[in-house]
Amino acid sequence: MPTKKLSLGQLARVEGEGTLELALRDGRVETARLRIFEPPRFFEALLRGRAFSEVPDIVARICGICPVAYQMSSVHALERALGLSVGGELRLLRRLLYCGEWIESHVLHIVMLHAPDFLGYADAVAMARDHGSEVRRGLALKRTGNEILRLLGGREIHPVNVKVGGFYRLPTRAELDALRELLEGARREAVALLRWVARFPMPDYERDYEFVALRHPSEYPMNEGRIVSSSGLSLSPEEFDAEFEERQLPHSTALYCALRRRGSYLVGPLARYNLNFDRLPPYVQSLAEEAGLRSACRNPFQSIVVRAVEVVFACEEAFHLLAAYEPPEGPSIPLSPSPGEGHACTEAPRGMLYHSYRLDRDGTIEKARIVPPTSQNQASIEEDLRLLAESLLGEPEEILCGRCEQAIRNYDPCISCSTHFLRLAIRRS
Amino acid sequence: MSAGFDLRSSKPLLLAGIGNPDRGDDGFGPAVAARFSKLSLPNVETIACRRPLDLLDRWQGRRLVILVDAALPHERPGRLFRLEPLRQKVAPAALSSTHSLGLFEVIALGRTLDLLPHRLVLYAVEALGFSPGAALSPLVAAAVGKAVRRIARECRAA
Repeated sequence: MPTKKLSLGQLARVEGEGTLELALRDGRVETARLRIFEPPRFFEALLRGRAFSEVPDIVARICGICPVAYQMSSVHALERALGLSVGGELRLLRRLLYCGEWIESHVLHIVMLHAPDFLGYADAVAMARDHGSEVRRGLALKRTGNEILRLLGGREIHPVNVKVGGFYRLPTRAELDALRELLEGARREAVALLRWVARFPMPDYERDYEFVALRHPSEYPMNEGRIVSSSGLSLSPEEFDAEFEERQLPHSTALYCALRRRGSYLVGPLARYNLNFDRLPPYVQSLAEEAGLRSACRNPFQSIVVRAVEVVFACEEAFHLLAAYEPPEGPSIPLSPSPGEGHACTEAPRGMLYHSYRLDRDGTIEKARIVPPTSQNQASIEEDLRLLAESLLGEPEEILCGRCEQAIRNYDPCISCSTHFLRLAIRRS
Repeated sequence: MSAGFDLRSSKPLLLAGIGNPDRGDDGFGPAVAARFSKLSLPNVETIACRRPLDLLDRWQGRRLVILVDAALPHERPGRLFRLEPLRQKVAPAALSSTHSLGLFEVIALGRTLDLLPHRLVLYAVEALGFSPGAALSPLVAAAVGKAVRRIARECRAA
């Protein structure tokens, strides 16, 4: 088949390496394939034979941007396998740590990676010449998230303070007071960030996604909840395999995750927001509405606004968690190894992250499974790109290319988690 | 001089070893930082740094910041370069990552936002390779001591 291949260079500002290939035939986009060419990293196999206590530190190495998510899903799944429940102030501190990661990860993506697409700049450095105060604000907010990670995680990258059963070290009252002061300023700055992104020009595009996220009886979801979807799905993490399946496709080293009978679905901020708007505090809801969002939002480009809503929420939540905190008796709950199997999902900044583990009698990992958000979203990204590219085929190639890059960044994909970034190739036949 | 530098500042000098110790010669910066910190020079803070963007918070208001990093392989692995990026024009390599800005992008951002130290010195070693899990290559490992001696001289003279 005669084909024409156009290499449109490297797509920057997304974590990972891959190529987007658009195959065009008779004026239509036949396929959009996100090809991952980073070698798979075999973390699940690497965990086998290790002690359960080693897992949080090993899985933190999967991602430099969202290590807390990997740690949280792992400790919850392992605690379930061991028949342990961690509540009270230790649970509060875990939620606080997660808030730190949401703030850091979301603000980095909004300000440094995605905003330049909407405002027509090549990158954040060029954007900073005209929007210096907004970039400074982003850096300050990110610093707040980093500080939470440093305090509760022991360090900002690949934290080392999380353990099955709790933490290795508890923060002191003086350390938390300093953090609270920082968060007071961050709450105001987060609202200003939301009002800034709410003014961005938004492409007019909607899709009827099946949203999938956790849902908690009373909280906006982070560490726990049932898996729910916009099509009525409601299941526990133990039932994950009953509804979701991972597939291997020839063009990618990442596994694709799909709903067994329905195919692609979407996880991440947009899914969380749509399925949990009523779990946001009224103050955050009213700010979301002021930003032009309704309780339902199906425009993936508006994910940047939803991320900013979640930054406001995470700053508020962290502030209130700190106010409510009373030091627990000890940094962790004592436990002893036992055989068992445990499953857990938590909400990584990029979406739901599933872990399951099977332990033998002395707590050695017999089996580990990790399904990251980007592999769950991959089919949905490709479908977005196919539809979007088709609507833009009459446009010059640089516009098509730029909009596809922007659309990929709607997902803040962390491709290195699924198995750095992206070449775009268009094949015409 | 950067307006971001405060003449009243008494912040110590900063040595930042940039890189990932688990990626072959990318571990040069952290290796230099680790050996340099053993000298316990007064008024010098030494850190290992994985994300150049974090430097914007660390180098503001400092009189002198010395960065140590690995450069792409070219002709002579282990060759040590000394550059002053605020005074010299440097053409950075294209980035392959993403969630973090490269060093020269961070310097450009610092310049735009007026968040630079007074002086910035970069020691870069020419690498041989960046394989996952690999140790420093012999010629790059041999350059660690040389870099530490040159940086120590520069700090004492500053």
